[in-house]
Amino acid sequence: MTEKLYQIISKVFNIDSSKINDETNSENLEEWDSFNFYVLLDEIENEFNMKFDLDETLEIKKIGDIKKIFVKHGVIPE
Amino acid sequence: MKNEENLAYFLNEAKTIKTRGLEKKLRVAFLASFSINGLEETMRVKCFQKGIECITYVADYNQYNQEILNHDSELYQFRPDITFLILDTRHILGEYFFSWHTVPHDEKPKFVEDKINEIKKLYNTFEKNLESKLVITSLQIPSYSSYGISKQQEIRGLKEIVSEINNKLFNHCSELHTNHQIFIYDFNEFISKFGEKNIFNYKQFFSGDIKISTEYIPKFVNELMGYVYAISGITKKCIILDLDNTLWGGIVGEDGFDNIKLGDNPVGRSFVEFQKRLLALNQRGIILAINSKNNLEDAIEVIQKHPNMILREDNFACMKINWDDKVVNLQKISEELNIGLDSMVFFDDDPINQEYVRESLPEVLVIDLPKDSSQYAPILTEMKEFDVLKITEEDTKRSGMYLGQKKRKELENKVSDFNEFLKQMNIEINIQKANSFSIPRISQLTLKTNQFNLTTRRYQEDEVSKFALSDDKIIECVKVSDKFGDNGITGTYIIEKKDNEEWIIDTFLLSCRIMGRGVEEIMMNQILEKAKSSGIKRIKGEFIPTAKNKPAANFYEQLGFKKENEFWVFNTDDTIKKPDHIKVIKND
Repeated sequence: MTEKLYQIISKVFNIDSSKINDETNSENLEEWDSFNFYVLLDEIENEFNMKFDLDETLEIKKIGDIKKIFVKHGVIPE
Repeated sequence: MKNEENLAYFLNEAKTIKTRGLEKKLRVAFLASFSINGLEETMRVKCFQKGIECITYVADYNQYNQEILNHDSELYQFRPDITFLILDTRHILGEYFFSWHTVPHDEKPKFVEDKINEIKKLYNTFEKNLESKLVITSLQIPSYSSYGISKQQEIRGLKEIVSEINNKLFNHCSELHTNHQIFIYDFNEFISKFGEKNIFNYKQFFSGDIKISTEYIPKFVNELMGYVYAISGITKKCIILDLDNTLWGGIVGEDGFDNIKLGDNPVGRSFVEFQKRLLALNQRGIILAINSKNNLEDAIEVIQKHPNMILREDNFACMKINWDDKVVNLQKISEELNIGLDSMVFFDDDPINQEYVRESLPEVLVIDLPKDSSQYAPILTEMKEFDVLKITEEDTKRSGMYLGQKKRKELENKVSDFNEFLKQMNIEINIQKANSFSIPRISQLTLKTNQFNLTTRRYQEDEVSKFALSDDKIIECVKVSDKFGDNGITGTYIIEKKDNEEWIIDTFLLSCRIMGRGVEEIMMNQILEKAKSSGIKRIKGEFIPTAKNKPAANFYEQLGFKKENEFWVFNTDDTIKKPDHIKVIKND
């Protein structure tokens, strides 16, 4: 699951997946901006067949946060 | 979703595309009442894919009023070729979007009037001060009413007044349409195609005031591309069709006349639908031609006699039904119809043929036709490549003209002496000054004519209108007819009266359909005689070579012009040659 998530992130931000880890955020990743973040969320929703709540989208500060939400939604096991 | 269609792809491509050196350039401005990130990136990439360098300006969020009303704004400085004003219902209606039902009935008409006037003021100002085309999106008709199923009880409900605003804008702009500067894009067409629930994503709306969801931005840009094609003059003119499994299901040579699928069965219906869509395009000026490997007799029998065939022989300007190479056939069609390969679209179900044509003739737009024939009609109707800013009378007559052309060819083949052929054609030309009827066509000719075009200067309609009003210019057009029919306005020239001694040929062109029958000589002859009778000494013209206008390269020389530096000059004391097989009628 992590691999698939990283693939999507690498595609949307157009970066190598080796640059991505749980601590990746808009501060330390230049390619991450406020707009393509929406694109990313949309792609993740489509690819994982799930929906983020509005709250959840606001909570995401780094990639690790997405994984936490995945756990909550049962997309990845705890 | 395919990679080429999603916004992430366009956002990333937009950062890397190299547009330097592209011949075609287009300046596009976006004004919107909400956040339209991603739109300009997508459009730049889509333009790049069509060989256009698109230079964009995106006005600050919600600044469209100031941008248009203030003549010092960045919009004015940017000098766009085309401007998209993207309005939205929530913004225009404000709180009333939610509470329209509380407005007293007698106040409703005034509200509607005020809103229309606000928008009118914008485009009137725009029209007066900017050269750019303006495309305004109509307002989305709300799908919800708090009255629910009882909404008929509402008098002038929300939906009705939004429709009312839209209709008034449409009507007013069609009246304005004489100058073809302001266009209304029917946003509800977009909504009904893809669905409000897809296009409007509440989460994105609340988070970033995004009113067209990121997923649907590329599809929205696609809708707008029709304007881009039309204004850049890269519209497609001709559809080349295969027969077996493209116009009908099955292979006539193997399955036989009675067993091909065309008509009342699921697969047959899909081909009938496809043909009906093709016919409609043909009736409004898109040329159809066949390029197919079949026995001629088998195929012709279907085209002439099959009861469910929609397209008949007369709908095809050219039929290459043989066992020759498809690329060679395409080149022959291009020559015979005098239509550039880059104006052609190729429909063939066979992926090998698609690849072969794509590789051999990259100018041709090859459609990725899938195996599933149910997709043929929707693929065709999704295409924006046939869009023109205005369908002229010539467009709607074009199929008939090509039929005449086919008959002319037959005569030419029958009569061995070319001069004799020309005599038998009874060509008549009618020269007239540009007027409100011919101006759209003259502009279209300057935008689309590539081969017999001495200077290839492209002029939008408003520019042509200005020339027509100017005392320093002569702008005339030429209608050509012969015994096989009327070819409509097919040639034009623009002369700049430099002074009392000298005229300069700014533009001189003739549609390639007519080329080579003496019409171009007669046109020049008219200019020279007119100059002489006006006491002008010298006519100067230049030939600006392009990749396509070789056919016109020796024209000045043939007419007796002498080369002086970069110009070709004709001295009006010299003998003016005139072909004698053409009758000239002048309507000044």
